[in-house]
Formats: sequence, structure tokens, C-alpha cells
Amino acid sequence: MLTIFWAAPAADAADPINYRLKWLFNASVVGDLYADVNGHFTEARLAVKVKSGGPERDAIKELELGQAQFGVASADQVIRALDKGAPVVVLAQIFQVNPLQWIYRRTDPPIRQLADLKGRVIGITYGGNDETIMRTLLAQAGLAEPEVTLFNVRYDYTPFYRRQVDIWPVYRNTQGIIIGRKMQAENEPVRFFIPGEFGVRFVANSVVTSRRMLQNEPATVKRFIQALLAGWEAALDPANTVRALDTLQQFDRDTPREQLAEQLDITRSLIKPTTEFKIGTIDTAAWKQTEQIMLTQKQVAKPVQVETVLHPEFVF
Amino acid sequence: MLLRRIYQFLIIYFLGLAILLGVKYALRLSNYVIPDPLLLGLTFQSEALRYFKDVLDTMSIAIIGQVLSICLAVLIGILGRQTTWFGSFVKVAAYNVQAYPIVALAPIIFILLGDGFLSRLLIAAMICYFPLLLSVLGIMAEPIGDIEHFYRITGRMRWQLEVKIRAFENLSKLTTVVAGSATLAMAGTIVAEFIAANAGIGYSIRIALYQSDLGKILIALFLIGISLSVYQGLLEWAGAIIRKTWESR
Repeated sequence: MLTIFWAAPAADAADPINYRLKWLFNASVVGDLYADVNGHFTEARLAVKVKSGGPERDAIKELELGQAQFGVASADQVIRALDKGAPVVVLAQIFQVNPLQWIYRRTDPPIRQLADLKGRVIGITYGGNDETIMRTLLAQAGLAEPEVTLFNVRYDYTPFYRRQVDIWPVYRNTQGIIIGRKMQAENEPVRFFIPGEFGVRFVANSVVTSRRMLQNEPATVKRFIQALLAGWEAALDPANTVRALDTLQQFDRDTPREQLAEQLDITRSLIKPTTEFKIGTIDTAAWKQTEQIMLTQKQVAKPVQVETVLHPEFVF
Repeated sequence: MLLRRIYQFLIIYFLGLAILLGVKYALRLSNYVIPDPLLLGLTFQSEALRYFKDVLDTMSIAIIGQVLSICLAVLIGILGRQTTWFGSFVKVAAYNVQAYPIVALAPIIFILLGDGFLSRLLIAAMICYFPLLLSVLGIMAEPIGDIEHFYRITGRMRWQLEVKIRAFENLSKLTTVVAGSATLAMAGTIVAEFIAANAGIGYSIRIALYQSDLGKILIALFLIGISLSVYQGLLEWAGAIIRKTWESR
């Protein structure tokens, strides 16, 4: 009888793993949710708990505290953490194009070159990624701050709807669609200002783990990342659209299905730009550029050589 | 009184900091999770002056909000002290307004009033007024039996005298409540700034949080705590002076 209670877990029992996302459950994490719901982690003999993120969550801190084994963080978080000695490594880069873009009205003059930003009222979140990106763009354009008006944005879009602000930062694949539809309903079609088109490739969500986890459990890391990326590939495969939307709807009940479908399409274009592209590919040049931007803006005290913590070998 | 407030705060702050540092070194955490004393010192050097100005900005709003709350609480307390239908109606209305969480009301306030001075003031006042009201109602509704009886049987009792008697007999309680409500007014202003304002220490904390910079947050907490301790000490000192003046009359 005692042996029943004291029996050691079977050798192939699923390892408990916490995976902390960067933000709430929405289209930006469809692959993470798909891998969970559709058994990719189970097939890899992993018991993964996918946890939603939020403004008060920081996956890198949770990795260090042992509260999570894997997480999602943006490049600026990784670089800041490295600057302060955090033992974090990058396993895969989910977004190839940063979804953080600016929305503006089609009736306004188009932004064809950076100099076209001159004189506009530009929404930024002070302290956020969008501030860093916009300041880089303005520096590239040779525009001094008095030549534009920076407006501190919050969750309330009223200043944009009221035309107090000309261009407003949004996540292209989620808020961008919701606001775009609202504007369209008011006969105000929109377009997007994409920093990447002007050479600023600030890296967004990437999968991270701790250096200790990579050193001590490389097999688990490999199984996890392969299962996760298989989930992403399946979720963004147009043949699986219905299943991906079903998965998404389980977690994001507030967004209508047709909006989720549009969000999924845009998400696909940001994560898997071509059909042959391997999801998770790490764009080392973009990471180096992100570090350089943060150095220039004095957001980190010293170079962190971010390329040394990138581990592209796990992307199959 | 003032000095005691300050050193008591310093004991609490540095005790908390010591626990954090203990966790840092016990678990070998990086400066990203918990900054070491050297990094804290450097952060203090670079940010303290700017943050101190932010704290003063926040505190000025908090003080105005607190004064408004005190006026409102005293007014409603005086009206609500009566055991009439109107008195009970005022109490119910005052309680119900407080039932709505401020985070749910804040977006409406910011849409109506923008993200400037007025919104911060209103939220600060809303957060600190209710505990003040409860105390004022409690004090004003409680008769001081023997004294009030004397004035009643001699026919000299008026409502102003009733309020004065009750306030005087409970002056130390009122001083404690007013000093305590300063904390709430400050917390209310910081919440407002954190949610949507463009200035103040709450706004700076939000930016530090975006950048996962615990060092900056710890410096901000230090400056908030020390400023609040000084303010509360001054309020208690003012309360003591008022009491002495009344007693000498």
C-alpha cells in the first residue's frame, strides 16, 4: 500500500512548466494557445500552463524567481534585463514585423517619408516602446521635438477620434483592426504608419528562458520550443483557420469572430511573412539595431552584446 | 512629534528595503529583479531631484483635495448628525457614492475633465473623503450628555453650539482622522496620476513600471513616504496648537 503512495513519478511523466505571456489572451498569442489546446505540448510530454500577461507582469523576472520556466518578452525588456545582469536567453522571435504601428486618417496627407511627420500631433506612451521607436524615427528624420507635438496617450482613444491627435500608436493586429473598423463605420478610412518601412526594426515578442534552464535542461527546452513553434505553424496555416479561430474564441470572448478572423490574417503577415518562412526565426540584425537604439537613447548604460544570448538553433 | 514621524518612517522603509535585499542575496537575484545598494544610490543621485519635484506636485493636489474633502465631510457630517429623514437620506447618499470603485469611475472622470489638474483633484478628494465622513458622522452623531444637557435645560442650545461641543470633546480623534486622511488623499492623487495624468509622482512611477525599473520605484516610495511623514507631523502639530488655544479660552 505504501508503495502506491510513495511511488516515484514515471520517468516520462509530463514536466510541469509555466509559460508566462507578455499580454492578455488575444490574436497575438494565437499560436501559444493553439499549441496548448490542440495537444502540441502534451505530445511533447510537457504539462504547460499558459499564463496571460499584462502590464504588471514581467516574464523575465518570473524566470529568475523560478515562477515560470519560459516566457514572452519584447527585445527592449530583454536588453534592459541584460543591462542589469539578468541571466536571460532568447529562443525564438515570434513577430518578424513589430505590430506596434501608428494609425491615421486616409484624408490626412500620407506619410511617405519621415519628414512628413513634421507639424503633426503624434501620440506616444511616455516610457513605452512607442516612445523609443518614435524618437528614433524623429532623429532619423532630423526633426527636433519642437517641429512635432508629442501627445501622451492612454487607453482612451477620444483624442484621436476628436482629431486632437493626428497619428495614434496601436497594435496593428488587434487594436488597429478594432479602431479601423470604428473609423470606417464613421466614413473615416484609415491607414498605418509602419516604422519598419523606414528602417526601424525594433524587435517585439520573443520566447525567452533562463540561462540555467538552457544549461540544465536543454532537452526540455528543445521539446518545448519545438512544440510551441509547431503550434504556431499550425495556428497560422490557412488550412487550420477555423480551428485557430475556435481556439481564440475560447479565450477572447469579447471580440466578434469576424474581427478575430481579420486579426488572425494580419497576425499571420507579421509573424510568417512568406509561406516558406520558419516561424521563430531570430533576426539578429534587428536585435542589434534594437540594442543600438536603446544605447543611443541612454535607456541602457552599456552595450550588452545582445547577439550572445540569441539561440537560433532551436528553430527547426 | 514631527521628528518621531520621520524616524518611524525611516525605520519602516529601511526595514522593508533590508528584507528585499535579503531576498535578493539569498536567491542570488540580478539587479533587474531587485537592485543592489550601489544601483539604488546611483538611481537616487540621478532621479531624486526630479522625483522630489513630482512628489511636491502630487502633494499640492493631495492637500487641496484633502481640504475639499474635510469641508465636504464636515458639511455632510453636520447635516447627517440629525436623526431625521433628511439626516438618514444624506448618510445613505454619501455611502452609496463611495460604493463605486474609483478605477471604474476614473475613465469617466478623465473623459469629462481631461487628464489635468481637475481630474487628479477630484479623485484625490473622492478617495479620502469617505473615511473622513464616517469619522465626522460618528463624532457629530454622538451627544456629549452632561454638557449638552446643561445647555438644553437652560434653553441656550443652538446647532452651532452642539457642533462646537462635539468637535471640541473629540478634537484628538478628529486630528488623528485628518492626519490619516492625508495618506488617503496622497494615495488617491497617485492613483489618478498612475491611471491617466500627465504629471506627478504617480505618472513617474508608471513610466518606471513600463521600464521594469524597481530602483526608481523604490526611490519614489522613499520620497513619497518622507514627504507624507512631514506633512502628517505638521498636521498633528497644528491639531495640538488648536487644542491648546481652545483650552486656554
